[in-house]
Amino acid sequence: MAADPTPAVSPNGTVTQVTGAEVRVRSIGKTFRRRGRRTVALSGIDLDVRAGEFVCLLGPSGCGKSTLLRIVAGALDADEGQVTVGSEPVSGPSPDRGMLFQSPLLFPWLTTRKNVLFGPKAQRSRGLHERDDPELDADADRILDTVGLGQFGDAFPHELSGGMRHRAAFARALMTRPSLLLMDEPFGALDAITRLRMHEFLLGIWRQYRMTIIFVTHDIEESVLLADRVAVMGGKPPTISEIIDIPLERPRDADDLDTTEFLAIKRQIRASLAL
Amino acid sequence: MTTWPTVAPEAPTSSGPATLDPDAQFDLAQHRAGIRRARLRRIGLGGAGLVVVLALWELIAVLLNDPVALPTVSATASAFGHYLTNPYPSQSKTLPGDLAISLQRILIGFAIGTVIGVAVGAAMSASQVIRQLIDPVIEVIRPLPPLAFIPLFIVWFGIGELPKEVLLVFGTVPIMTVATVAALKEVPDDLRLCARTLGASRGYTLVHVQIPAALPGIVTGMRFAMAGAWTSIVAAEMLAATSGVGYLISQAGNYLNTSLVFAGIITIAITGLILDACLRGLLLVVDPSRRS
Repeated sequence: MAADPTPAVSPNGTVTQVTGAEVRVRSIGKTFRRRGRRTVALSGIDLDVRAGEFVCLLGPSGCGKSTLLRIVAGALDADEGQVTVGSEPVSGPSPDRGMLFQSPLLFPWLTTRKNVLFGPKAQRSRGLHERDDPELDADADRILDTVGLGQFGDAFPHELSGGMRHRAAFARALMTRPSLLLMDEPFGALDAITRLRMHEFLLGIWRQYRMTIIFVTHDIEESVLLADRVAVMGGKPPTISEIIDIPLERPRDADDLDTTEFLAIKRQIRASLAL
Repeated sequence: MTTWPTVAPEAPTSSGPATLDPDAQFDLAQHRAGIRRARLRRIGLGGAGLVVVLALWELIAVLLNDPVALPTVSATASAFGHYLTNPYPSQSKTLPGDLAISLQRILIGFAIGTVIGVAVGAAMSASQVIRQLIDPVIEVIRPLPPLAFIPLFIVWFGIGELPKEVLLVFGTVPIMTVATVAALKEVPDDLRLCARTLGASRGYTLVHVQIPAALPGIVTGMRFAMAGAWTSIVAAEMLAATSGVGYLISQAGNYLNTSLVFAGIITIAITGLILDACLRGLLLVVDPSRRS
């Protein structure tokens, strides 16, 4: 699954090559202390993700997959170990590591276009780039077109359907040109049909932009449909118990869900989860 | 110049995002027109309800035929019209004159109370020590009716403008503090994280995300505080003032000028509605989802 290098523009305006970043997770451990009780959330996590690869973290609730994702995002500090994205060790959130959540978390007081423009404007206020408004507007319109919301730039989030809100959240995350996209059960709250559509949408976006994706889910089928590799999490203390390759051909779509190959991999993952 | 591709060379023809999308049928203009129609219907029905109440009032007043107990709607309207331009003899102020005085009191007291309340609430959200220190104080003060303090404030601050402002601030601060704490608490942590992963600094996130996200809750608190403030100021003017709508009503009552009492009450009602409408308008500005 090597990524084709795609010309891109970094926030400061210079043209760069390749949009996916390599991720190295080394012996990450995390313990929560609450009211004197210690809960080990993660222990001895090692994971390597290639540039442009799509990896799913799969496991039951409470297995630490969201905690791991937040540590990679820089939203949470690990007690032990280190995460490197590209050549930089992670410390604090960065627009290079985009994040999408179960709820789209659009800013309800901003129109869709202004939501999409939030990142670049926030970065400009810190002097991270000099792109001016017309340039950003044109860019926002292009990305809104890409996610199929070209007509809805002036709509407020509450005026969009559930699937449209998620696509708007995608557009907002794509605006900052992340080399890594971290997704925390992003389609968990959608109905099954919208969800299938969002899977194909996500694979389309990924094919186009070729960023690295780490995707948290507890849905076996979803992980097989989307990922190059599935990291199965579980155990006490929680860790990555097995990493399973998904050799299915791409592009994949909903029709692949019933093939023998697909079902065999699902069975393999179920066995790994000891179900 | 930007060369980020909108369509990659290997872009699929069958599974592109736009072609699969049933949402494309959605018509935003039509959706908004529907919301406007629903609003017009609501206003029409609400107006009809008021007309029914006025008709009942007129009917009872005509049957009762006692203008001191219950003046007719038309007598009330003419008293209202008369005192719009003519001063009431015992204090030499017109109805709008007294209203202006009451409004000035309420806007000053309410504004000061709101600013203090939001500041205290924000401080309580920011620091656990401050929250644990102030919370019991607020909880003790909050259920007290501000009106109970009027005699005390007269003893402390006399009968000028100061005791009225203190009363309004005293009534507004606890409500705004509690509303601000609750509104800031309601802002999801992930919304802040989301802004940070988009490249916003902590300060930018506070100003452009956390505060805007809390504003609807704060403005809703302002609506409650405004209703309380309006009650307090009218009562205070009845007890200890020589001007204001409350004073005018108590004077008119003393002289059995019932139609002017009604005119004063209606003035209070209309002004209260307008003040609340302003705050509701503000709510629509800070929270577009309430426009539907």
